[in-house]
Amino acid sequence: MAGRLPVAAALAVLQGDAATRPGQNTWLSALVRWLFIATSLAFLAALLIAPLVTVFAMALERGFEAYLVSFADPDTQAAIRLTLITAAVVVPINIVFGLAAAWAIAKFEFRGKSMLITLIDLPLAVSPVISGMVFVLLFGLHGWFGVWLQRHDISVIFALPGIMLATMFVTFPYVARELIPLMQQLGNDEEEAAITLGAGGWMTFFKVTLPKIRWGLLYGVILSNARAMGEFGAVSVVSGHIRGLTTTMPLQIEILYNEYNFVGAFAVASLLTLLAVVTLEVKTLVERTGYRGR
Amino acid sequence: MSITLDQVTKHYGGVPVVNDVSLDIGDGEFFVLLGPSGSGKSTLLRAIAGLTGVDYGRISLHGRDVTEVAARKRGVGLVFQNYALFRHMTVADNIEFALRVRHMRASHRRERRRELLRLVALEGMDDRLPAQLSGGQQQRVAVARALAHKPEVLLLDEPFGALDAKIREELRRTIREVQRELGITTVLVTHDQEEAFAMADRLGIMNLGRLLEAGVPHELYSRPATRFVATFLGAANLFLARNGAEGIHVGAATIASHEHSPQPREHEVVAVVRPEEVVVAATPAELGSRFVAQGVVDEMVFAGALERLRLRLEDGSAAPLLATADAAATPYLEVTRTQPEQRAFELHPGQSVAIGVRRVHVLPTPLSSFTACAASSAAAETLARQPLLAELAARMKTRIGIRPEPQLGASAAGPEESAPFVGATVISCEPQAAQRAEWLLRHGANEVLVLPAQATVPQRVLIHWMDEAVRPATLAVSESVLRHVPAEAEYVGTLSREVAQELARRLSEAPGQMLIVGVSDLARFAERFSPLLDGGRWPVLVVHRAPS
Repeated sequence: MAGRLPVAAALAVLQGDAATRPGQNTWLSALVRWLFIATSLAFLAALLIAPLVTVFAMALERGFEAYLVSFADPDTQAAIRLTLITAAVVVPINIVFGLAAAWAIAKFEFRGKSMLITLIDLPLAVSPVISGMVFVLLFGLHGWFGVWLQRHDISVIFALPGIMLATMFVTFPYVARELIPLMQQLGNDEEEAAITLGAGGWMTFFKVTLPKIRWGLLYGVILSNARAMGEFGAVSVVSGHIRGLTTTMPLQIEILYNEYNFVGAFAVASLLTLLAVVTLEVKTLVERTGYRGR
Repeated sequence: MSITLDQVTKHYGGVPVVNDVSLDIGDGEFFVLLGPSGSGKSTLLRAIAGLTGVDYGRISLHGRDVTEVAARKRGVGLVFQNYALFRHMTVADNIEFALRVRHMRASHRRERRRELLRLVALEGMDDRLPAQLSGGQQQRVAVARALAHKPEVLLLDEPFGALDAKIREELRRTIREVQRELGITTVLVTHDQEEAFAMADRLGIMNLGRLLEAGVPHELYSRPATRFVATFLGAANLFLARNGAEGIHVGAATIASHEHSPQPREHEVVAVVRPEEVVVAATPAELGSRFVAQGVVDEMVFAGALERLRLRLEDGSAAPLLATADAAATPYLEVTRTQPEQRAFELHPGQSVAIGVRRVHVLPTPLSSFTACAASSAAAETLARQPLLAELAARMKTRIGIRPEPQLGASAAGPEESAPFVGATVISCEPQAAQRAEWLLRHGANEVLVLPAQATVPQRVLIHWMDEAVRPATLAVSESVLRHVPAEAEYVGTLSREVAQELARRLSEAPGQMLIVGVSDLARFAERFSPLLDGGRWPVLVVHRAPS
C-alpha cells in the first residue's frame, strides 16, 4: 500500500492535478522532477556522451600528428570534398522545394493536400536503405531507365548524381516540415496588406514573407544540412564505394574501419562529429536569436 | 458614386456567402456593414479590396469597373482586425511601405510619414517595432499605413475587435476624425451595433450573405423593414398584430399608427415594439398610453442608466407575442426603463402590472406566421414538427399555429372555425394536396405551403408567377423567405402551356430546391397543379392574390 501511494501521486502530478496545487504535494512534484531529469541525463550520458568521447579518444590515440596525417590521404580528402559538394547542391534545392511545398500547403486549398503532407513525411518513415534501393531500381543498369541511360552514356548509380538524388530524397522533408506549421500559424494577413498597398508578388515574398519565416527556414536548412552530410544508408546503396570517387565521409569511415585503420576512421568520424556539433550549436544559437526576434 | 456593387455574389463550396448584393456608397461617406459573424460582410469587404474574387456581379470604384483588376492596382487602403503590421519593420518602414513600392523620393516619404503620424497621434514613434506598441497604437499605425498612398477608398475590417472598451472608443473617434479631415470614402465592417451607430453615416445590415437593408442609422432603428434588422439593431419585441379597418390591434389595444394604411380586410401583421416604448403601471388607467395586456414581472436586471425587465404576459392567447417556434414556450416581453421611470413606479419580481405601448412599428413583411393545417389536430401537430417548417419558424422568430380542419379539401363544406386563415397555411404533401390547397385558397388563405415530410432547408428557390397581377406579392413573399435561408434565387420566366409539368421538371433537375409560385386565378387550380403538389417531392409555396 505504502509503495503504491507515490505512484498514484506521481500519476496525479502527471495529470496536472497536484502540480498546480501548492502545499502538501510540492515535495512530491520536486521528487518527480528530479527523477525525470536524472533519467534523461543518465540516458544521455550512456548513449550520447560516451560514444562522443570515444570517437575523439580513438582519433587521438596515436597523438595529434597521426591524427593530422590521416587527413593527408587523398581518398579521405576526396570524400570530404564529395560530402561538401553534395550538401552544397542538395541544400539549396531543398530550400526551393520546401518553400514551394510549404507555401502551397499553407496558402492554398487544393485536392490532394493531405496526400502531399503525408508524402513529404515519407522519407522520414522509410528506412534509408530502401530509399537508396529505389534509385537503384529506377536508374540502375537493370532498372526502368537503365538501358536508356546507358545508351546516352549517363551514369547515375555509382556516380555523383545518384548520391545527390539519394541524399536529396532523405533530406527534403526538413525544410518543408519546419515551414508548414510556421506559415500556417503566421497566416496571410501581412501578405494581403502588402498587396493592397501595391506590392507585387516578388516584392511581397522578399520584403514580407521571407523576413517573417527566416528563422524557421534557417532552422530547416541546418537540419537538412546535418542530415545531408551524415547520411550513410541511402548513399551507401547508390554509391558503389569507389574509393576517391564515390565515397562520402560516412562511407570513407566505414572503409577505413574495415581496413583496421582505426585512427584514420575515427579522425574522419571526429571531423563529421565536429560538423554535427557545430551545426547543432548554430541551431541553438538560431533558436535563441529567432525566438527573441519574434 | 464612390463604390458601386452590382449583384455581387460569391460562393464557397457551393454555399453563397455573399448573395446578390447591390449597393451604392457615396463620395466621402462613412458606410458601416453590420452583421453577425458568418453573414458575409468581411467577404464582401475583401471583394471590394480585390483579395477575394467574385463569382458574379460587378464592382466599381469611382466609376471604374475594377471587378477584374488586381488588388494591388485598386488603390484601396485596408485595415485588418489583427493589424497585420509587418512585424520585422519599424513603424516608419511600415508606413512608408506603399510609398517605397511607388518609388517615392526619401524626403517626400519622410514628409508624408510625419503627416500621417500626426494624423493618428503617434508622433515620435517612428523607430519602434510593432511588438513594442500597444494594440491601440498598432492599429493606429495600420490606419496610417493604409492611408499612405492616398487611396480613394478606406476599408476597415473589424478594426477594433481586439481592443478593450476604452481604447476602442478613443480609436473610433480618431478614425472618424481622420475620415472627416480627409473626406475619404470609408467602409467599416463590424458586428457591434453600438459601434455601427457611433460611426456610420449610413448603415447596411447583412445576414446569410444578403444585404437586407441599408439606410441612415436612425431610420433603420425606428422603421426597420425586416424581422432580422428589427431584432439585430437593438432589442425588439415582435408581436403578431391584426391590421384592420380601425388600425392595428395589438393585444387589447388598437393603435392608429401614422404609418398604417387602413385595410378593408383584416390580416395578420408583424409589429415591432422597442423595449423603451413599453410602459408599465399598476392599472390600465394609470398607463397614459394604450393598454395592451396584463403581465407579471419575471426578472429585473439593473444595468446602470437603465433597468431591464422581463415581463410574462398573462392570458397569452389575447396577446399573441411572437415567441420561438416552440409554441409551448412562455412569451416574454423585454422592457427597459430609465431612472425617472423607475422612481415613478417601483417594481419587484412577481408583481402584476398593466402593460401599454407608446409606439408600434408594423413590418411590411408578408409572412407573419405559420399555421399547420390538417384533418385532425394530431396530424397538424405532426406537421408542425416538420424540420423545414420548424427551421423556418425558428429563423423568422415566429410561431406555428395548429388548426384542425376535418373538412379540409371537401369541395362543398367550408372551414370549421370562423376565424380567417392568417399567415402562411401549411399542409402536407399527401395525395390530393392540390385539392386541399385550392380549398384553403378559396376560403381566404393567401399563402399555402405544401411540405413533403422530409424536406429540409433549400439550397435554391425557384420563383414563378402565373400572371403579372401576382408579381409584386410573389416577389415580396420570396424576398421574405430568402432573407431566412442561405439559398440562391432563380426566376423562372415564361413557360409553355404545361406550367406545372415544366416546373416539376425544373424542380427534379437538382436536389434541395423549393418553389414559390404566384397565382391569381383559381379556376381548375387543383387539376392544373396536381402534378406539382400531389404526393410531390418538393416544398411549394403558393401565393394567391385575387386580381383587384
